Amino acid sequence: MNLNWTDAFNNLVPSLLQGVVVVLQTTISSFLIAVVVGLLVAICRLTQLKIVKGFFATLVEIVRGTPLLVQLFYIYYVVPLILDNILKSMGNSSANIQFSAVAAGIAGLSINYGAYISEVFRSAILSIDDGQKESGLALGFTYYQVLWKIIIPQAFANSIPVLGNYLVMMIKDTSLLAIISVSELLLRTQTYASQTFETIESYTILAGVYLLLSLPLSQLMKLLEKKMKVLH
Amino acid sequence: MEEIMMSVKSISKSYGSNLVLKDVSMDIKKGEVVCIIGPSGSGKSTFLRCLNLLEIPTAGDIIFQDQSILNGKIKVNKYRQNVGMVFQGYYLFNLKKVIDNITMAPRSLNKKKKELAEKEACELLDKVGLLEKKDVYPSSLSGGQKQRVAIARALAMDPELLLFDEPTSALDPELVGEVLKVIKKLANDGMTMIVVTHEMGFARDVADRVIFMEGGYIVEQGTPKEIFENPQNLRTQEFLARIL
Ligand SMILES: Nc1ncnc2c1ncn2[C@@H]1O[C@H](COP(=O)(O)OP(=O)(O)OP(=O)(O)O)[C@@H](O)[C@H]1O
Ligand SMILES: [Mg+2]
Repeated sequence: MNLNWTDAFNNLVPSLLQGVVVVLQTTISSFLIAVVVGLLVAICRLTQLKIVKGFFATLVEIVRGTPLLVQLFYIYYVVPLILDNILKSMGNSSANIQFSAVAAGIAGLSINYGAYISEVFRSAILSIDDGQKESGLALGFTYYQVLWKIIIPQAFANSIPVLGNYLVMMIKDTSLLAIISVSELLLRTQTYASQTFETIESYTILAGVYLLLSLPLSQLMKLLEKKMKVLH
Repeated sequence: MEEIMMSVKSISKSYGSNLVLKDVSMDIKKGEVVCIIGPSGSGKSTFLRCLNLLEIPTAGDIIFQDQSILNGKIKVNKYRQNVGMVFQGYYLFNLKKVIDNITMAPRSLNKKKKELAEKEACELLDKVGLLEKKDVYPSSLSGGQKQRVAIARALAMDPELLLFDEPTSALDPELVGEVLKVIKKLANDGMTMIVVTHEMGFARDVADRVIFMEGGYIVEQGTPKEIFENPQNLRTQEFLARIL
């Protein structure tokens, strides 16, 4: 076999480093939004109002029942078309809406992960002992104070291990953004490999970069998890 | 004449068709210690929880400091600041250090300054004998210590009345004493308290009045001497014979 590792390293790695920046930016923004979305959806689903409950439950099921890849396609290609049609029907014939690929990617990841994270928070909130709520109420806190100051912090702390897993998964899932032309790691590697035919080298390096991103994070999460155990 | 702090007027409570409190009335005077005894399922917890509106009675009225707390005119959360409660399961906030468990409510509800709240918390911890534990997390405490912190936490809001729902029932036998000692100390300090308990020795020792409940009724009440030495009602006699 005639492999050209030096060439691949020298030319691909600098481009991948730029890709890493894209991956990190996308992941961090999407994850933060997903956590906020997840928390709000979880709280909405815990209200007594049947309509609100049902609405968000349906939304979560739709998101969880369709693949992330399809969602990304839909947001990037289909949603602008729909908006165009709406605008046209309102008399704006020159409408030509387009999202930036990164924005569409962040939207897709946030919505998809938001749905899963809402389930995590929901069950974490439900698993907090009712006595926590009652002891807060008995001290004189209102229901919403109890929710935000006592129950949600504990539910959040209990969710950290699962959230950590989702964070690592999300880093890897950014590779799906290649399909909507975000120049993350996979797209850069594809481009390079197709130009140089250094296929084996390129994709091996790519896999290595993903490992370098996710392994330290996984370790960090394990450490954090151990720290949290002390509180129980 | 002693001042009546709370007056419970014929309250009832039902869950669906299940009537668990039946026309229960009692007064509690300032500084009085009342112990409630009775078999499991007799409605003791439900009664106690009605007093701080964790349960809403389905009939009757409760007058606290000359005001009805059931007519919808009071703010329930404000009212509860006057009535502390200690639960069987402690329910400390496990993400917070002991001292922060105690200062949380005064700081956030009474807008007390951190230094003042902590100074008062230290005094309370000293009172329950746990000052040296102020900077640890609840998970490292024994059950008895947790319950003493829970008592300090309730006291931090400076309540007029303190409710205890079987404060020692979840504890290993060797830890019961330290918690009862703290409650006894509060009684000596003049704290007004209603204590649901299975500790008959404690009730006899500390209570000004003992109430025996069964089947959702107050069957009999009187001084510890009257209840424990000369119970009038047959059911009180049977209950005491069974557990003593
Ligand atoms: N939230 C509820 N919903 C329905 N029934 C309830 C509820 N809470 C209590 N009950 C019922 O009310 C009755 C009285 O319960 P309560 O907890 O007040 O008894 P208790 O005297 O405190 O008993 P224990 O000594 O076991 O604590 C029981 O039959 C119980 O099943
Ligand atoms: Mg009970």
